Amino acid sequence: MSHQEQLLPHDRVLRYEFNERMNHWVAAGSFIYLMLTGLAFWSPWLFWIASALGGAELSRMLHPWIGLVFFVAVCYMFALWSRQMNFDSVDAQWWKSLHYYIQNQDDKMPPAGRYNAGQKLLFWSFFGGAILLLASGVVLWFTESLPWSLRWMRYISVVVHAGTALLLIGNFMIHIYMGVFAERGAFGSVIRGDVSLAFAKRYHPGWYKEIVANSNRPK
Amino acid sequence: MSQATLRIQKISGHAGTVPGEDTQREFTVCKLVDTTTCIGCKACEVACVEWNDMPFSQTTFDNTYQTMPDTRWNYWNLILFNEHEREDGTLQWLMRKHQCMHCAEPGCLEACPADGAIVQYTNGVVDFQQDHCIGCGYCVTGCPFNIPKFNSVTKRMYKCSLCTDRVSQGLEPACIKSCPTGCLHFGSKDDMKFLAEKRAKQLREHFGYENAGVYDPPGVGGTGVIYVLHDATKPELYGGLPSNPTIPLAVKFWKHPLKWLGNIALVGGLIGLFAHYLRFGPKAHDEPDVASKEGD
Amino acid sequence: MTNGWVDMKNTDMMLIMGGNPAENHPCGFKWPVEAKRTRNAKMIVVDPRFTRTAAVADMFCQIRAGTDIAFLGGLIHYAIENNRIAKDYLVNYTNAGFIVEKDFKLPDVDGLFSGFDDQKQTYNRASWNYQGSGGKSPAPPAPKPGQPPALPALPGTVDFDPTLENPNCVFQLLKKHYSRYTPEMVERITGIPKEQFLKAADLYTSVRKDGDMKKVSTIIYAVGWTHHSFGTQIIRTAAILQLVMGNVGRAGGGVNALRGHSNIQGATDMAGLFDSLPGYLKTPTPADASFDDWMKRVTPTSSKPAAWDSFNYYSNTPKFTVSFLKALYGDAATKQNGWAFDYLPKVDRNYSWVQMWDDMYNGTLKGMLAFGMNGVAIGPNSKKNIDALKKADFLVVGEIYPNETSDFWRAPGISTDEMKQIQTTVYNLPCAGFAEKDGSMTNSARWVLWKNTAVPTPGDARLDHAILAQIFLKVRELYKKEGGKFPDPILNLTWNYSFPSSPPLAEVLKEINGKALADLEDPATKQQIKAGQQLPGFAWLKDDGTTSCGNWIYSGAFTEAGNQSARRDPSDPSGMGVHPAWGWSWPANRRVLYNRASCDVEGKPWDPSRKQVWWSEATQKWVGNDVPDFKADSKPKDHMGPFIMTAEGVGRIFGPLAAFADGPFPEFYEPIESPIDNPLHPQQTHNPVVKRFKTPDDKYGTPKDGYTIVCTTYRMTEHYHYWTKNNPMNVQLVPEPFIEIPAELANDIGVHGGEKIKVSSIRGEYIAKAMVTKRIKPMIIDGKKVYQIGFQIHQGYRGIEEDEGKNARTLANLLTPTVYDPNSYTPEFKGFLVKVERA
Repeated sequence: MSHQEQLLPHDRVLRYEFNERMNHWVAAGSFIYLMLTGLAFWSPWLFWIASALGGAELSRMLHPWIGLVFFVAVCYMFALWSRQMNFDSVDAQWWKSLHYYIQNQDDKMPPAGRYNAGQKLLFWSFFGGAILLLASGVVLWFTESLPWSLRWMRYISVVVHAGTALLLIGNFMIHIYMGVFAERGAFGSVIRGDVSLAFAKRYHPGWYKEIVANSNRPK
Repeated sequence: MSQATLRIQKISGHAGTVPGEDTQREFTVCKLVDTTTCIGCKACEVACVEWNDMPFSQTTFDNTYQTMPDTRWNYWNLILFNEHEREDGTLQWLMRKHQCMHCAEPGCLEACPADGAIVQYTNGVVDFQQDHCIGCGYCVTGCPFNIPKFNSVTKRMYKCSLCTDRVSQGLEPACIKSCPTGCLHFGSKDDMKFLAEKRAKQLREHFGYENAGVYDPPGVGGTGVIYVLHDATKPELYGGLPSNPTIPLAVKFWKHPLKWLGNIALVGGLIGLFAHYLRFGPKAHDEPDVASKEGD
Repeated sequence: MTNGWVDMKNTDMMLIMGGNPAENHPCGFKWPVEAKRTRNAKMIVVDPRFTRTAAVADMFCQIRAGTDIAFLGGLIHYAIENNRIAKDYLVNYTNAGFIVEKDFKLPDVDGLFSGFDDQKQTYNRASWNYQGSGGKSPAPPAPKPGQPPALPALPGTVDFDPTLENPNCVFQLLKKHYSRYTPEMVERITGIPKEQFLKAADLYTSVRKDGDMKKVSTIIYAVGWTHHSFGTQIIRTAAILQLVMGNVGRAGGGVNALRGHSNIQGATDMAGLFDSLPGYLKTPTPADASFDDWMKRVTPTSSKPAAWDSFNYYSNTPKFTVSFLKALYGDAATKQNGWAFDYLPKVDRNYSWVQMWDDMYNGTLKGMLAFGMNGVAIGPNSKKNIDALKKADFLVVGEIYPNETSDFWRAPGISTDEMKQIQTTVYNLPCAGFAEKDGSMTNSARWVLWKNTAVPTPGDARLDHAILAQIFLKVRELYKKEGGKFPDPILNLTWNYSFPSSPPLAEVLKEINGKALADLEDPATKQQIKAGQQLPGFAWLKDDGTTSCGNWIYSGAFTEAGNQSARRDPSDPSGMGVHPAWGWSWPANRRVLYNRASCDVEGKPWDPSRKQVWWSEATQKWVGNDVPDFKADSKPKDHMGPFIMTAEGVGRIFGPLAAFADGPFPEFYEPIESPIDNPLHPQQTHNPVVKRFKTPDDKYGTPKDGYTIVCTTYRMTEHYHYWTKNNPMNVQLVPEPFIEIPAELANDIGVHGGEKIKVSSIRGEYIAKAMVTKRIKPMIIDGKKVYQIGFQIHQGYRGIEEDEGKNARTLANLLTPTVYDPNSYTPEFKGFLVKVERA
């Protein structure tokens, strides 16, 4: 079988191909817009965000459409990554060692593959969250055309939409923190697509082994 | 529709204080609808459409005298016709003027995220300000009476304004003005309550309606429209008038516990992450900085 | 109405029948509601359907359309049997104690009163008279060929039995007549279960429990009673019931007709019918050789028990008539020429509505000016009317919208080829709507109310009366130029308006009110009126040509003090809803007719809490909150009857002689199309004097032909006749026609609400969506299950929805039969037979 060579010169490893990176940023950009406008509708104290983004009316108009973009991006992520996101026995070990991870003692962590258990959870939470947001979002989008007898759908939707959004925003904050502040080099992986060998070895030893095994290049 | 000279005591989606709150002696206004003397003539429907200058829309016959199945963005006031067969075989043809109830605790205002799109004046009237409406439709979710209606062209919500333009000038709403039988009354809430209770008593004592009573549901803090019903124990017969309307539990949960839990969680999360960075700093992997390496 | 809209608030009990005031008179219905609210008054609604009125009633009875006389007769029977009658009132204020001719026979055996002429289908009414002596001495002129035989006169002095025991007194005859109207019989005929009827009867008559006179009940009706081949007799039955219970003349009582349009009362007052002149003066016939002959025939002489007095106000008929002719012809009407008697057309036969269309159908009527009415749509038997117009030479339509009459030539079903065959020339003249003209309207309560012009006529539209005036001026010009057979009535007609081509309506009202043509003085009060001044009222009218007056009952509407109908003072000092300075009410600004009857014989009000008029010992006059309907200085001891417009001075329980064509007492007859034979007398099912028409378009259906369902028609709040189908607001409220059918019938034919059905009578069919409802129930009529349906009349083939092809474009009156009431000539729009199927 042929696949793209992942070992790059200068001790770099290709982590994300172009379409993965592009999709990530489509999802990220749309999510950020959705989060900001959503927060504007969430609390009067944040309503000014909508004004800053061109007015609440525009926000109300675009929010559902951007939501669709986000959902499509998440679906594409699913197509790209879902097979790598299956939980395995290592993940169970990983959760047990979570406190080492939090305390930056990554050497005490079980060897993660391309994604560690936390990242898998993030993926599945965004995927599941996107489905819930879409389902409840459609109800809220066309809320006035829903017959009165189905009003329970509205009631469920407002709670589900807000609750899911809150969870996702929480996950999103952790994701940003990890990607930008905590793990040096992670951010670059979704910009240029590569990480250092050291990065791969430390955080995703399983994945590192796999790459090396699959590599056609001499070591 | 028009703020006219009325002061505001509640504002939707609003951060901060409300300018009109407790600044006026004004009494709460109220419409009294005596369903026992409503003849379903629809004068109030016509008056509403005419006074508010609303465009006509297509209707079709639907096995009823009712003009249309439900109120519309351009039809705020609708008589609901319901045939009801009593246990003794006699028939009742119940007619109820259906419009915004102007709740003291309005679910629409509660649910609305747009600053100033829904206001409650100091006289109790709940009014939509289309200038500020963003068309999200959350008011539909908040309303236990199915009142706010969406205009798909302007993308805004509409409903009975209780003719604020008239009421603010000391006139009665157009529907009240047009009622030929005196089934509709308008005045202070206290006066209307008094009249309604008196009429209900008369119905109980002289006309054999043992369960006659007044509909002024406490679940929404009382309403700015109150009904005299032949049978106050069965408001559902009158075109699905809810027997104990409240702001939907979901909306209450969403706007109160969930909101505060969410806010605490989000802010707490931010603080937590920041604290984590301060305490543990970034993860270190045995490798020089990527950038510096590249700089080689 | 004997009473008035506002007066209804004074009642204790309402019987609403043959009318649906909540639907069709929603503004006036305020007052019945007011009575409920302020007096705990009860309301009984009897109707073929559970109507919007029934929705606020205390009791509802579903009656078979057209059986009202059986129901009301049953009430009379119940009231008499249970002593819920007003004994003193009956004896003193009605003809209950009058003795009737021995030859008079009730219809209890064969369904016919005495004197029926089988050949001519008319009654010789000579035996329908009181027993007594004296009366109009000179024999009336011999009838000309084709004229009914002249009747004897009422006796001047009538035999009388104050005990009401004489078997031939009116009361005993009444009792006997209605003894057949038992609750069981009422159930067989009307379909109202006996128990329900008894409950209604008990409730209605409860106001007269043990003869107590304090409470009052009212009867309210509309065209549901008049639209029958015995409509007048239904109203008579109601009047008798009210007289028996002592409810006439009293605040909150009476028999109250709710007129179908805002100014129908005015139209009737101004000679809406071919056989009357303005103010209900009777037209001359060819048998009247001279003015004096005419006056002799139409002026009644009093007819009463010896000890009593009778004002007999119609003895003033010559004064009213001469003043009317002076108004018409001015100086050309002189004593020498019998006040221009020759100018008046002599009515030689029936020219009523249905007859006119029949005449046109048969080619004897060549043209028509149709102003403010949609003749094709309002029927009956619209197809016959359309066919009649096809044969006319010309049709002039003055309307504000094109309608079914102006567009008769393109009624659905007429092919393009057929249209080419129609030679009728149609002139469409755009006229003025009600808000585009001033003038007065006379409401059901006889209140004449002036209105102002609200908006100008649009485009080329012109005022209706201006068009008529211009036609008149043109015709007069032609007569002037070319002479003619008899130009005098045209050339001598007074036309002294400031704008002859468009007479200001205020000037017309002034003319109707009347003025002095010479200086007048009232000998009693020495009050003087100068020549040319407006008259204060009809008491001033003279038969010597010194007064003119267009309509005596309107005299007082526009006096020297100005236009009384334009007054708008809402005050009501008595609180009785009199409002004496709001508009002006005929006669003499009197709000409740016969109000003398609101007092006992001594002149004291039956109910001191509702004082209308009373005898003032101090001033020796009748005084009150209302204008006394009585001779002001007639002392109670003189025993003048309170019903001053009858020759007897009392209320007529028995309608003597020429009063009615079909019987002095109302008898129940089936509608011309009925599902059963008359249970009272199967050999005489229908009103015997009712005429059937004979043209190919005139067919009458029977159950044997498959027409088994009783059908009625009606109007809705949301529409005004055939007008508002042109107004988007009304169309939005009720966009299309529908047929109300019982849920059981819908089940039988497999139809759901909103699906189209076809209703056919033998004359035509009507297609619309079905409204399946519980508000009409199947009925058991004489042991048979009978369905009853109904539909509203408001759509046709011109209008917003019609022009867009959104409804079936059939006319309600394609179904109704050509047959009419022999007294009022009103067609039988209600209670015909149909079949119903899926469309």
